[in-house]
Amino acid sequence: MQRAAAAPGDPQSYPAAPDVFIEQRDGGLVAACFFAMASPCELLLDTGDLEQAQRIGLVAAGEAARIEAKFSRYRSDSVVSAINRSAGTTVELDAETAALIDYAARCYELSSGLFDITSGVLRRAWKFDGSDRVPAQSEIDALLGLVGFDRIDWRAPHMTLAPGMEIDFGGIGKEYAVDRALALVEAQSDCALLVNFGGDLRTNRPPAAGPWRVAIERPDTDREARLLLDVTQGGLATSGDTHRYLVRDGVRYGHILDPRSGWPVRDAPRSVTVAAGSCTEAGMYCTFAMLNGAGAEELLERAGVPFWCLR
Amino acid sequence: MQLKRPNPPLRLGLMAASCALLGSTSAKAQTATDEKQPWQVDTAFLYYKENAGRLQTIEPIVNLKKDFGDQRILDGTFILDALTGGSPNGAIPSRKPQTFASPSSASITPKAGAKTTLYTIAPGNLPQDPNFNETRVAGDVGWSQPIGIDNSLSFGGHVSTEHDFTSAAVNAAVSHDFNSKNTTLSAGFNEEYDQISPRGGTPVAATDYTLLERQANKNKNVAGALVGVTQVMSRNWLAQLNYSYDRSQGYLTDPYRIVSVVDGSGSVTGYRYESRPGSRVRQSLYLSNKVALGPTVLDVSYRRGKDNWGVNSDTVDTHLRFDLGHYVYLEPHLRWYRQSAADFYHLYLNQADPLPTYMSADPRLAAFTATTIGVKFGIKLSHIGGLSLRLEQYQQRPTDRSSPLTQLQGLDLNPGLKAAIVQIGWQQEY
Repeated sequence: MQRAAAAPGDPQSYPAAPDVFIEQRDGGLVAACFFAMASPCELLLDTGDLEQAQRIGLVAAGEAARIEAKFSRYRSDSVVSAINRSAGTTVELDAETAALIDYAARCYELSSGLFDITSGVLRRAWKFDGSDRVPAQSEIDALLGLVGFDRIDWRAPHMTLAPGMEIDFGGIGKEYAVDRALALVEAQSDCALLVNFGGDLRTNRPPAAGPWRVAIERPDTDREARLLLDVTQGGLATSGDTHRYLVRDGVRYGHILDPRSGWPVRDAPRSVTVAAGSCTEAGMYCTFAMLNGAGAEELLERAGVPFWCLR
Repeated sequence: MQLKRPNPPLRLGLMAASCALLGSTSAKAQTATDEKQPWQVDTAFLYYKENAGRLQTIEPIVNLKKDFGDQRILDGTFILDALTGGSPNGAIPSRKPQTFASPSSASITPKAGAKTTLYTIAPGNLPQDPNFNETRVAGDVGWSQPIGIDNSLSFGGHVSTEHDFTSAAVNAAVSHDFNSKNTTLSAGFNEEYDQISPRGGTPVAATDYTLLERQANKNKNVAGALVGVTQVMSRNWLAQLNYSYDRSQGYLTDPYRIVSVVDGSGSVTGYRYESRPGSRVRQSLYLSNKVALGPTVLDVSYRRGKDNWGVNSDTVDTHLRFDLGHYVYLEPHLRWYRQSAADFYHLYLNQADPLPTYMSADPRLAAFTATTIGVKFGIKLSHIGGLSLRLEQYQQRPTDRSSPLTQLQGLDLNPGLKAAIVQIGWQQEY
């Protein structure tokens, strides 16, 4: 049996941390900024110690780079790509990857199959480029044969994925990176911290001067959609389909695909922001909400979590 | 998804799943490189043999070390020590045969029923108990971890037990880095408690060896403190300066050692149990330098020891490590040591002189110089471990070893000591 290791054979061989830039912000805060996971990322620290900000900024950046390198489906040397290339052979996963698969399995159950890490193959048919190109039903039907978490033979740490099936950690990876990065930097610092990877964030506690003031970008052509929030503790995540949709016959198809029908979820909110204990949890509520389309708000209300929906 | 009824199962389920995910990975707060830290196990066999039929020991040593990431390190050492052979009892050689009792019987005029093992020393030979046999089990465990960014804390414990001696100790130290981690200040303390229960009872100090005066078991304690500074002098030079202070209190006498009493001609007329002061203060100043000269590493240290018993010492210790290719290294070792005698050290006592309060003929309290010459040869087997062989020779040359008294002329009263050390070690990661 092979190990699902990132080529060239070592899943731990991740790149050096990206460059980190230090900025002083209002309120005596320091920001360590870098670019990772296709997003602007920052670590905010309630300290005047620029050296410390630089040092632990590098820790956060390094963790983001590590997770991106290990789990990005866009990188041919990632563990996810290695799994997706396994073509029916059984692979053995490392503990961290196995924990993520277990989490995905639980989310699949909790959402009655709506959240499915195997649904990405549907993107082969759907191109959300603002055009009106809707795929043929036969094309969708063919791909649906490759979708379904229950088709994976998963007995930790061994996974067998049918040929043609693929997994990805969309909806999990970035949020998980935020939580991981916070845990790492928190262990090396005793000040209030906020990790923000492209709008998905988590904090350990508010700065001495008061809550973190966070601006969530929700670009929208019609309205001023910037959401200003005060955050004191826990995670916050945002999902949206602002730029990725199709319009056909007056119907707007967002990029969230229902793995059961193979079609975009109808009437999903443009954007949803959820607060929860961790960024990973908040992110999954967002994903669940989007997958529920018109029922997004109701789902979040029933769950009893703070949320902000934009339709 | 079930939208038509309240959904606490979703909330609880997602919370539990997230906690399982983050707890499984972030509780360890580790980076991927840490996941690979294995247990490092060093196993060694030490063979030590003194000349002239004196002590020898075979000692298995196991050291376990584990880095839990973030510089949190657990370290433990276990030693089993089997000592056999002869141990000098403190008496001087004589022109006549001398008879002594092994400590288990402890008297040359045994009471009825007492088990007695006597040994007789031929004229001119150094008296030593040939029946010495002791097994010692000792264990050490230590933990060190950073506190915040620039500080670290370490603490540990030690226990050791043998038939007549039990020792327990604790220690703790803190260190603080500053000057961009180029300077480290450290401070520590240790506290040791020992219980001595000699075979055959504890002799009353300074009493006549034949009278068998005994007292209750004794104990002692040692409290010590250390302060030090480590400084990065340049890219390839590290210097360290330590000062330590140790104070021992309690029963510091060796229950098995005696002192010969001679008359004016040098003939042995009797023996006294030795007697040492009940407190001892030792201070030392230690300067160490590690210098990297390319792949070769030079380690030179000097220690000045000061002792209120008068045993002042100087030690110069040098290690040089050469890499011979990628897999083989050679480490020559040279150590030179000198000490002055304890104020109450006597080769023997004169019958005519008044009996001193404190007296000892322990060769370890005599003035001597000693050298250790050795070499260690090691093979690194990448990813598997390493093998090493250490060969050393130790030689002790006492300063004071003869007497002008007629009967003692021509006798070597303290012949010193030669010892050979062979250690084979195996290092492996699991």
